[in-house]
Amino acid sequence: MLDANPTEQSSANSAAKLVEVKDLKMYFPIHTGLFRRHTGDVKAVDGLSFDIFKGETLGLVGESGCGKSTVGRALLRLYELTNGSVTIEGEDIAKLSPEALRRKRPTMQMVFQDPQACLNPRMTVAAIISEPLDEHTKLSSAEKLEKVYELMDAVGLNRAFANRYPHAFSGGQRQRIGIARALALNPKFIVCDEPIAALDVSIQAQVVNLLEDLQEQFGLTYLFISHDLSMVRHIADRVAVMYLGRIAELSPREPLYAEPLHPYAKALLSAVPDPDPEREATRQRIILQGDVPSPSNPPKGCNFCTRCPEVIPICHEVKPELAEVRPGRFVACHLVKPD
Amino acid sequence: MPDGAKPVLDVRGLQTVFRTRGGDVHAVNSVSFHLEPGELLGVVGESGSGKSVTMMSLIGLLPMPPAEIRGGQVMLGDMDILKVSPAQLREIRGKRIGFVFQDPMTSLNPVYTVGNQVMEPLLRHMGLNKTQARARAIELLELVGIPDAERRMKDYPHQFSGGMRQRVMIAIALACDPEVLIADEPTTALDVTIQAQIIELVKDLRSKLGMAIVWITHDLGVIAGIADRVVVMYGGQIVEQAPVGELFANPQHPYTRALLKTIPSVSGTREKRLRVIEGQPPILGAAPTACPFMPRCTEAFAVCHVENPQRRPLDDKRVGYGHDVACHWDAKTGGIA
Repeated sequence: MLDANPTEQSSANSAAKLVEVKDLKMYFPIHTGLFRRHTGDVKAVDGLSFDIFKGETLGLVGESGCGKSTVGRALLRLYELTNGSVTIEGEDIAKLSPEALRRKRPTMQMVFQDPQACLNPRMTVAAIISEPLDEHTKLSSAEKLEKVYELMDAVGLNRAFANRYPHAFSGGQRQRIGIARALALNPKFIVCDEPIAALDVSIQAQVVNLLEDLQEQFGLTYLFISHDLSMVRHIADRVAVMYLGRIAELSPREPLYAEPLHPYAKALLSAVPDPDPEREATRQRIILQGDVPSPSNPPKGCNFCTRCPEVIPICHEVKPELAEVRPGRFVACHLVKPD
Repeated sequence: MPDGAKPVLDVRGLQTVFRTRGGDVHAVNSVSFHLEPGELLGVVGESGSGKSVTMMSLIGLLPMPPAEIRGGQVMLGDMDILKVSPAQLREIRGKRIGFVFQDPMTSLNPVYTVGNQVMEPLLRHMGLNKTQARARAIELLELVGIPDAERRMKDYPHQFSGGMRQRVMIAIALACDPEVLIADEPTTALDVTIQAQIIELVKDLRSKLGMAIVWITHDLGVIAGIADRVVVMYGGQIVEQAPVGELFANPQHPYTRALLKTIPSVSGTREKRLRVIEGQPPILGAAPTACPFMPRCTEAFAVCHVENPQRRPLDDKRVGYGHDVACHWDAKTGGIA
């Protein structure tokens, strides 16, 4: 089952789309009053369209509350979508019947943020990793155990610890258990939702390197959700910057970090502290005023218009669409026009 | 900072132990550092390195038991604050030493208005009457950049955003014009754009008010931008201490060197592969007889297994005043120091 070469050769067509998202909307209804009337929506994700190519890592960055985790969950249909389609390998998972969705699950998996909360404390590591195998395969117990051992080797856990419980492991090791579980069914697409946010700096690098190794070994495609822009620069091939439920900019890694085009992407990158006192001393920071508006009542026009340092009148009226302004670079801003 | 200025805070040989059923946990092992007037001292370390426990012990905020301060001196001016009575300590906390904690939601009381909480230290320590305290509280909220401060005095903490709550915490900490401000991961719970706002605010307040600050963080990027001098902690000890530029340009301890290489940055060159520090941080079960970093160290000698290295100066200054490191390895020669 642990094929180093997945049946479909990912290298054959490197630009093939694995995941295609069209006009994804995810609203959470607000009910108020005595009769719990539907009085509004939290527009967590408000019309996203993007593709994820086979074998790439798409970084999804943004501040808390911008909807990045909701996107990750919606892509795996852990929520019922409000609108839009998510096509993974030619099938629109938003429209699949529960049984068909269940059969589809092995291709798409998730690694969660908090490795403490996502592992059942009463199950041994072997039981946790083999649970997907119990659900989706008809392997014998011996075959399952063999597979569990293979997975533990792959993520760098000692086989001798298979019968221990999660509490006996450190944070980094627990995250490895979570990754092994996600890999158990040979997925093609893995959503990593802040997989390193709960880990110490020296452990983060270990987990990121592991994710990169596994990607190469098994030809995986990642959606890497994170608020850590420097780590995303390391791991992602392309990066989408989200603000208040929309994509502000989606660009390949190097051009984005070298020269962000959207005013929010500029401000966000300039706010990241740089571990170099000399560069820090000379850097010009763009300090955004105020806070992110509430997603239940986003501003009219461009959702960044309340804090944008470069705002012009049209921004308060017309919502800018995400458009390709340079080859491969998509920006939703009235000030950035195609060359 | 001029060498020889009398430190506002001088911690010597602080040792804190937690007594647990599984035995003692040696969280802080003979930590010494000082704080000069007006300087910003950065304390970096991973979780469990003892940075927060150090600060909590020196102001008596640890629950005792299970915590126990086994030794050391904390001189605030001429007074050893480990020896004063609880009543005296209450006078010092909030008045001479202010704090800002990591999570502004849990450190503000949800059932009192923000105005009430900013006024509390003013009424308690400064002997102001209500009208004066109210006026001063509004001033403080304006100082930390809360728009429409007078009206917001009546609001409760839940009506403020994370960044605004942290500003309120800073206003409370600064209320009595403390000599020392201890900020324990003040921006960790905040988003980067809000973190940038708070950092700018602290820089601005420093130049206006001139208090000395201890800034605890695990983020070397934050330290690089804000600190004058840095203390690196690992396994409950200070492993390296240097002025900020010197530390980043010329790190000496294998841990500091590895840590600086393992973090990616948004500018500069992108490494094809991240360097890692193999292994796990230590569990501080027994009093250290070896170097706590030894199991993960790439340079370890035989002596590192049997002797916990003491801090040694790398220049002609005293330990704590120039650049010093607690390591048997000499980064220049590659041999034993």
